[in-house]
Amino acid sequence: MAVPRLNAARAERLLPWAVGAGAGVLALGPGLGPGFMLSYDMAAVPEPPLSQVTLGGGGGFPRAVPSDAVLGALGTVLPGDAAQALLLMAVFTLAGAGAGRLLPGGWAGPAGSTAARAAAAAFYVWNPFIAERLLLGQWAMLLGYAGLPWLVPAVGRVAAAARPAGVRDAARLVPALLPAAAGGFSAMVLSALAGLPAAVLGARGAGRALRAGAVLAGVVAALSLPWLVPALGSGARTDPAAVELFAARADTPFGAVGSLLSLGGIWNAHAVPQWYGLPVLAACRLTLSAAGVAGWVWLVRRGGAPGFGAGLSAASAAGLGVALAGTTEPGREVLSGLIGLWAGFGPLRDGQLYVAPLALLQAAGVGAAALWACRAAADSEARVGGADAVTPPGGRDGEGHGDTGSRGRPRTPARSDRAAAPSRSRGLRTGRGRRSERPAASAGERVGALLGALLALAPIALLPGLLWGAAGRLDPVDYPDEWRRVQRLVDEDPRLGRVLVLPWSAYRGLDWRADGRDLVVLDPATKLFDRRAVWNDDLRVGDGTRVRLAEGEDPLADRVGRLHAADLGIRRYTASLGELGIRYILLERRAAEPLSGADAAAALGPLAGDNRFSSDGTGPAAVHDGARLLLLEVPDRHVDPPNDELTGLEGTAWFVTVGTIIWSLGGSGSSLVSMRTGPPRGAVSRKENPT
Amino acid sequence: MIRIVAACVIGAALAGGLAFVGTTVATETSSSAEPVNQSLYNYGDR
Repeated sequence: MAVPRLNAARAERLLPWAVGAGAGVLALGPGLGPGFMLSYDMAAVPEPPLSQVTLGGGGGFPRAVPSDAVLGALGTVLPGDAAQALLLMAVFTLAGAGAGRLLPGGWAGPAGSTAARAAAAAFYVWNPFIAERLLLGQWAMLLGYAGLPWLVPAVGRVAAAARPAGVRDAARLVPALLPAAAGGFSAMVLSALAGLPAAVLGARGAGRALRAGAVLAGVVAALSLPWLVPALGSGARTDPAAVELFAARADTPFGAVGSLLSLGGIWNAHAVPQWYGLPVLAACRLTLSAAGVAGWVWLVRRGGAPGFGAGLSAASAAGLGVALAGTTEPGREVLSGLIGLWAGFGPLRDGQLYVAPLALLQAAGVGAAALWACRAAADSEARVGGADAVTPPGGRDGEGHGDTGSRGRPRTPARSDRAAAPSRSRGLRTGRGRRSERPAASAGERVGALLGALLALAPIALLPGLLWGAAGRLDPVDYPDEWRRVQRLVDEDPRLGRVLVLPWSAYRGLDWRADGRDLVVLDPATKLFDRRAVWNDDLRVGDGTRVRLAEGEDPLADRVGRLHAADLGIRRYTASLGELGIRYILLERRAAEPLSGADAAAALGPLAGDNRFSSDGTGPAAVHDGARLLLLEVPDRHVDPPNDELTGLEGTAWFVTVGTIIWSLGGSGSSLVSMRTGPPRGAVSRKENPT
Repeated sequence: MIRIVAACVIGAALAGGLAFVGTTVATETSSSAEPVNQSLYNYGDR
């Protein structure tokens, strides 16, 4: 079997994929082996369920729809830990490949272009944003982050196409939105923030802008239906007071603004990588971010971001604005007011999330800086050795722009200003795509490429805390046998009924690590079963010496919370739980046993009595009584079997979404983003306006 | 160009190796930033 030769074009195309995948291996490290990576919201479980509940049934705000269903679907063919590792690797690989693909082709020689793409890819997959969100366990949102570099240029191409955007363009956008669609709520919100400005600002004229925006909004809505429909019917509310708790904060010596500009600033002090705040590293990262912004300006001014330059700039500015709003009192008041007005504004409370478009902008800018370095080095060489020695066949800057697509296909110069782009490729490719003989890379080219390679390594060197499972914080752990036994016990019961997760608090410190340190994670019991789990979704956040509470969103959890506060006694408590459709009570002993007094009463309700965790016939009966877990069963006579199946509307929503995906893939091929785009904007303009 | 790619790979391996060693050493010598010995954990601390 012949091995394909790694020619320059192939290397340029494949290296960003390799950078993304390599970064994933470096970041996840031991997590790619057996065991589960557990951290805050990332609570992967063995044999992840794929049930009507994970598809959105059962009420409650569908934060994990459809991401848990995607994990469950993968879990039908892979072990749960392998499914988790695969999805996390997909985040890094797709993100890296997409970011590398953003840069225009032909602006430097093969070595320079390849190094620039590697630099862009490395920056996008190795920065404080991705590190902090990974440590916070927001893998589903990161799927949307990985999709941004695919979505933004795709939207730009649709907006700038010769004809107004229509249904066929919608089919082209769907593949770019698939990662976000799998991620669900936060991923889609992020995609809309990044995509809509590109749709509106990339089009010529208000009418076309509206059409492009409407097409994107339609696609986003169609792919959001699996979580949007349950969300609208959930009766969920958002606590406006949470704005202050989840606002961005300074996590570097440069204040909130400097932290956000360098893509950090997450609200949770425990979600920052090791050595993150060291002044030297933080200063270097801020400098690199500034270089990225400068590179982006250079790139856009020379037409290197056709169709999406203005849109991505606007999305980055808007995202940064939202993030900064939470850091000032007037801004917080505005955000709280908006959330109070409509719960749909709730996502705005976690402001740092919205610097994701800025990460993409900076990544493209860092790649552009590498291109600039190639050009500067070549120019410097030209001044020393004479123009003929270094000018590639086809001319120097300003003499033409033989832009070459990332797949090696020639493009028509898109805009007049692109004609001024620092092209080095005309001698490398002919206008019709025939390959001409490549000249050997000049010394300047090599210097520029080396600088690009250094830029590709800089993000890793400046953020070492993400290496190898985030310095051990993502080390995999295995579930104790007892957890799997309880999972089987509950899943094998054919009777309907929900599971109540106690103690009445969402996050646990599990002692499953080999080094004895607790790992903090959302109680995995909330995701362990193929039936609805009821858990306290109020969020406790430490703020100085106080612990403050952001009220949860699940109305059913609210009712259980009131039962705990009502001091009902074990009989009435059990009967009331049964009326709420709860059949099982799962209690984690290690979290429960140290509790006493009012804390115990609030967290365990009547189960906090002297004979707690044992059945005396008046309350729920123990069906599993182990060292770690106690599983109690509410007497069958009390249980009002709940209907947690998908409603007709929710089922229809899934049907529409899956149908949309199938239709789009049938129309655009199997690649993540169709490359069959319309002619570039500038070229069309010339056709329509021959003068 | 292949040399550049090779330089990238070797450089990344070196940087990764050095950082890994540094990470390991520092992890063993420094305390964790995570909260410990709580019963009910917060979602996080500001």
